[in-house]
Amino acid sequence: MLPRAAWSLVLRKGGGGRRGMHSSEARGGGKMSPYTNCYAQRYYPMPEEPFCTELNAEEQALKEKEKGSWTQLTHAEKVALYRLQFNETFAEMNRRSNEWKTVMGCVFFFIGFAALVIWWQRVYVFPPKPITLTDERKAQQLQRMLDMKVNPVQGLASRWDYEKKQWKK
Amino acid sequence: MAHAAQVGLQDATSPIMEELITFHDHALMIIFLICFLVLYALFLTLTTKLTNTNISDAQEMETVWTILPAIILVLIALPSLRILYMTDEVNDPSLTIKSIGHQWYWTYEYTDYGGLIFSSYMLPPLFLEPGDLRLLDVDNRVVLPIETPIRMMITSQDVLHSWAVPTLGLKTDAIPGRLNQTTFTATRPGVYYGQCSEICGANHSFMPIVLELIPLKIFEMGPVFTL
Repeated sequence: MLPRAAWSLVLRKGGGGRRGMHSSEARGGGKMSPYTNCYAQRYYPMPEEPFCTELNAEEQALKEKEKGSWTQLTHAEKVALYRLQFNETFAEMNRRSNEWKTVMGCVFFFIGFAALVIWWQRVYVFPPKPITLTDERKAQQLQRMLDMKVNPVQGLASRWDYEKKQWKK
Repeated sequence: MAHAAQVGLQDATSPIMEELITFHDHALMIIFLICFLVLYALFLTLTTKLTNTNISDAQEMETVWTILPAIILVLIALPSLRILYMTDEVNDPSLTIKSIGHQWYWTYEYTDYGGLIFSSYMLPPLFLEPGDLRLLDVDNRVVLPIETPIRMMITSQDVLHSWAVPTLGLKTDAIPGRLNQTTFTATRPGVYYGQCSEICGANHSFMPIVLELIPLKIFEMGPVFTL
């Protein structure tokens, strides 16, 4: 039951999606997408075949009426004709979904898992740090770099004030 | 040398490198322009409400987006070729040094006015003095004079290496059986670092190059010839 709910959640994406895959199931067998275009997509809003092809007598009468002047149709009849031709309105077709929450949840989960793996590595795998990474040694290296005037044009030594022996403000 | 986490180029120590830095700024600005344009187009594509995907035949747009990149490429190529030919200018070097790459150290030969041949090995971590730079400092540096054109002949004794000093804008492959030449003129005295730039085995990261550039007067006194 839970996989079915998650599956339907993923299915109902806004805009395009894999809904074309289920069109043949809905119509009881037949050709698979892309050979059927019964379900409209945001990028292909006018499918070739109408949504309902088996019409009862009432609907067939309505179809006959449609062949005349459209100003004779009532609002309800227009809506009924639309529903015969199309599966969903644009608003329904473009509806949002909650898929993003699933996606973000999975992303954060795997980031967290990777963080745990990295933490374990720092504790059990990494070798001891070299002696040159102690603060004292790093300060001595920096002093030597300033004495050598490393990058004096726009880089490190250009930001050190040699008269006042401090960083330039 | 670069400071920790440095992303940009090091300051130039030779005129060619100054040109290269300017060219890099020029090309990077063009790159930023194109990237910004493409990201903007992508953003528009992702947020549009338009749905027609069957548009074809946009000849004017196609012409523009063919001609414009060609112009941009010409604008990049012209300064690039200028610098390329500048590096090959005849400048009559005063000194020729041979640099031979080995696994995993460099050998330098000063044979113009006598015979001096020495090897330059990276200092192992246990041999570092306080203030020394790990993975960069060597036991014997290459001592050279400033403001003189110097010719480096680079080759290798075993596998491919590459002799590189970024602040001078130098990178020359060391190929066994072949002599590659590069010339430079340094403008500032100092100690300049580089690292082997062609994969050459287990210790490829541990064979640095260190140049010590000193005033010509002091170089002429001959400290480099007294070991």
